[in-house]
Amino acid sequence: MNVNAMRYLISESVLMLGRRKGSNIISIVIMGLSLLILVVFLLVTLNISRIIEATREEHRVYVYLEDGLAQNVSQAIQLRLLGSEGIEEVIFISKEEALARFREALGENRDILEALEENPLPDEYRVKLRPELIRSDFMGRMASEIEGWDGVEEVRYGRRWLERGETLVRGFYIVDLCIGAIIFLSVIFVISNTVRLMVISRRKAIDVMKLVGATNAYIQVPFIMEGALQGIFAALLAVGLLVLIYLFGTRYLSGLVFLDPGAVVGFIVFCALLGALGSFTAMRRFLKM
Amino acid sequence: MKAAEKRIVIGVYHLSRSFGKYFALQDINLQVANGEFVFLVGPSGAGKSTLLRLIYMDDFPTTGQVVVGPYVSTRMKRSTIPFLRRRVGIVFQNFRLIDERTVFENVALAMKVTGAGMSEIKRQVTDILARVGLYHKRYDYPPVLSGGEQQRVAIARAVANRPAILLADEPTGNLDPVVTKSILELLFKVNAAGTAVLMATHDIDLVRSFGQRIIYLEEGRIVRDKEMIFVGDLRERLPDSKVSRRADDLEGYDISGEGSGNGVERGPRE
Repeated sequence: MNVNAMRYLISESVLMLGRRKGSNIISIVIMGLSLLILVVFLLVTLNISRIIEATREEHRVYVYLEDGLAQNVSQAIQLRLLGSEGIEEVIFISKEEALARFREALGENRDILEALEENPLPDEYRVKLRPELIRSDFMGRMASEIEGWDGVEEVRYGRRWLERGETLVRGFYIVDLCIGAIIFLSVIFVISNTVRLMVISRRKAIDVMKLVGATNAYIQVPFIMEGALQGIFAALLAVGLLVLIYLFGTRYLSGLVFLDPGAVVGFIVFCALLGALGSFTAMRRFLKM
Repeated sequence: MKAAEKRIVIGVYHLSRSFGKYFALQDINLQVANGEFVFLVGPSGAGKSTLLRLIYMDDFPTTGQVVVGPYVSTRMKRSTIPFLRRRVGIVFQNFRLIDERTVFENVALAMKVTGAGMSEIKRQVTDILARVGLYHKRYDYPPVLSGGEQQRVAIARAVANRPAILLADEPTGNLDPVVTKSILELLFKVNAAGTAVLMATHDIDLVRSFGQRIIYLEEGRIVRDKEMIFVGDLRERLPDSKVSRRADDLEGYDISGEGSGNGVERGPRE
């Protein structure tokens, strides 16, 4: 392909985009708004999953020790815990400390503790697991194993809470995935259809180009580039609106996170490809390839 | 007219085209020589447009073959069709211009797709627009032009690549008699410069007076192929010839490209 051809292809794409400003803007707005639904969905999903992860990370396993345990036994338990699979951190909380915390937690009602003659709380180890291991099956196994150790009174990991939470999260992700798939498919449909209509609306020009001896590549490339450009502009519109929504959201919800810059770039590239592909498939029919 | 070196630029041999059981064209044989002007006459539905489409290979014969310069329908690959189109100018009743492009761009498009350089395109398009009398409208868009002007643009586009052949499918079908005459004059002018013209029309009265070769087509068959009587510049034969006779209008501007070795025998320009 020579220089003239390259220049032609680029000038054609820009010219076509410019000359049909009105219909192009409408196409881009339609595509941008449908993409906005997708990115809003992604942002909401991202933030909810962040909250789920954060909650999961907060989860601790409590290993309560028998009363009056010798210090060396207690330390042996700590070492054994640290050497166990998946344990990241082990913090010792003495019964005194535990009571102090409890008193603090009670606040104004701390008076009720005055009735106690002695501290009923045990010494405990507060164990932090690797986040990916915070699952009821793993933790159940681990708890029953640790409970068998000498000097361990009881192991608690919030089984019921965890199981309920897991069901809820699983349910959320399944519903989320279904909604996501539906939104994703409709976005693909809207974009490819919008681009297709653009190609159809220019069928006359395509016929003329065939008539004067343009090769298929000459006809196709500017359309594909235009489809890609429309995809990019629509993606930028969607991301721009999403930023506004995000900024508005942070006024009311703290700790909101935005999409990863890499994901934004990937999204724009994806939209460009979608536009190009929509244009390409629509052209195939006209060019009888 | 360079009658000395006569050669066939369009050859149609035992051509039939059927759609199911219906024959649009049946056993058509005709040859058009370089520099010839041929009218293809017949009522609507006679198969004129189908025949033209088969010549510019938008469609292919059911049996028989079409030969246009080096291009043979039976051996034609899809990828070669664009190169045939660059050697054959085509004009339609409905002009087929691109509305969102200026007059200049419409004509330039035909050259652009061949990969011609910008300066060459500019020179050539300017020249052609001046010759069809539309240079002053080069920045206008087709929708604001009259039918006659649009057809002039279409003709300018058709000859931009200096084709050896110009096919015209009812080029005056949408135009009033006065404009029709001017379009005919323009086609004669193109012909006088050496391009073979094959013009389809249903209007027998329009073409009878020129003494040109007329091929009559009826129900898909050639019923009569009247030999050429008149030899010379057809513009002389236009009725009410107030038309300024500028026989040398297109002199030095070899539309057929024969002079510059751009003849139809040459292979496709890459």
